[in-house]
Amino acid sequence: MCGFFMENRTLKSRLTDASGLPKDVILGVPIVSITGQSEASIENYRGILEYTDKFIRVQTKLGRIHVIGRGLQIEHYTNDEMKITGHISGIEFPEGGC
Amino acid sequence: MLVVFLHFLQGYLKIRVTGYSPERFLNLCKNKKIAIWGLESSHNAYDMYLPVSGFRKLKPILKKTQTKVSILERFGLPFFFHRYRKRKFFFAGIAACILIIYSMTFFIWDIDIEGNQSISTEVLLRYLETEQVYHGMTKGGINCAQIGKKIRQEFDEIIWVSVSMDGTRLFVHVKENADTFTKPEEEPAPSDIIAVKDGTIVEIITRSGIPQVTVGSAVNKGDLLVSGTIDVLNDAKEVISHHYVTADADIVIQTTEIHEDYIEKEYSKKIYTGKKRKIPYIEVGKHTIQLGIRKHNFNQKEQQTTKHQLQLSENFYLPISFGQKLITEYRLKTCSYTDSEMEAILKKKFEQYCQELEEKQVQILEKHLEILPDEHGMKGIAALQLLESAGFQRKIIDFE
Repeated sequence: MCGFFMENRTLKSRLTDASGLPKDVILGVPIVSITGQSEASIENYRGILEYTDKFIRVQTKLGRIHVIGRGLQIEHYTNDEMKITGHISGIEFPEGGC
Repeated sequence: MLVVFLHFLQGYLKIRVTGYSPERFLNLCKNKKIAIWGLESSHNAYDMYLPVSGFRKLKPILKKTQTKVSILERFGLPFFFHRYRKRKFFFAGIAACILIIYSMTFFIWDIDIEGNQSISTEVLLRYLETEQVYHGMTKGGINCAQIGKKIRQEFDEIIWVSVSMDGTRLFVHVKENADTFTKPEEEPAPSDIIAVKDGTIVEIITRSGIPQVTVGSAVNKGDLLVSGTIDVLNDAKEVISHHYVTADADIVIQTTEIHEDYIEKEYSKKIYTGKKRKIPYIEVGKHTIQLGIRKHNFNQKEQQTTKHQLQLSENFYLPISFGQKLITEYRLKTCSYTDSEMEAILKKKFEQYCQELEEKQVQILEKHLEILPDEHGMKGIAALQLLESAGFQRKIIDFE
């Protein structure tokens, strides 16, 4: 099942590459934009798995994203985008997200 | 900014979510498209803001996730009205304010005139007033096309008028004729030149007319200097008719003038006592309301009044003005000049007189000031030799 999806995804991503269409729209790839160390916004996410003021775990289509820091706060939280403020010390993409 | 304002209008809440899996609660909120902001985690609980409409949709989510919600604070307009619902006059004030502002939009508060050069704004405003167009009139009574037409009819210099209304302002744009129409100069009436003073002719240059005097001749006031009547002779040197012209000549007469001045020894001097009274006042129409202490026992006083008229716009003055009366007390003290002071004053006055003469293009040949003191003061007698143009045009009445 996983392999089929893998193949499918590569085919799709290849097609996207060839056509030059934006990946976030076609593949639903998450976009993480960071402004300095104090602000990060994540688009194309699925949900929050864990949230404390030091650690935020976000589920996306491709896997999980960890935001590590101090005094983390979710400024807004809508269907398309979430904005995190506070002191961000790291962003991780742990393996085995599939 | 707009989002904040919309939230304020709708009303929003600060809530605290506690329970087994608050994350699930958040994700379900996202799915139900409930906007959440200002999310903060604190001791196994989440604090967040959400709109009132979102709060109403929370019930199934709370049941599903087995979480509990408590309202911490309420914000926004609906809660504001609810909190102050008993303050009727406050709301009546807001309503009255809105009503007043709305009713004020039915009137013209400013008339803006542009493009006028030779005709002043005041003249145009005064004319508009005669046509029942004035500051503070209702907008309904205005017919822009009609006003434009009337202005064009009244003022010949104006060749184009545009009258438009924008909100509570009336714009009057005019264009004046750039090459203004000038009346051709009228042919001047035939005239003679007569002397205005006694003296001796020093110079005479005649451009038209027949000179009756020569350089060196003594003339008296009223003497004919240049005649505007030219005799037309026939071959036998007989006068057959007269030709009338406007006499024109430059005539310089040397005159002698005696100028007298007198100064009294005693004079009154104002000495301010330092007592002052300020009376602010408000004037509404013809009525004046004075404020503060009005009583005073000043015998001799000076009064200065300042007045400011309130205006709503550049040209719209309200019949309300305010200002201040400043009353200063003084005493009169009789002082007397010393002889040298009086002499100095007389000399100064004489110098001023000479300066005035020079400003009038009168040349001073000779001047002599004699000072004669008497018991009450001092007299200055000045003898002046002057060169001045002393001709006066007198119309010839009895021609033809």
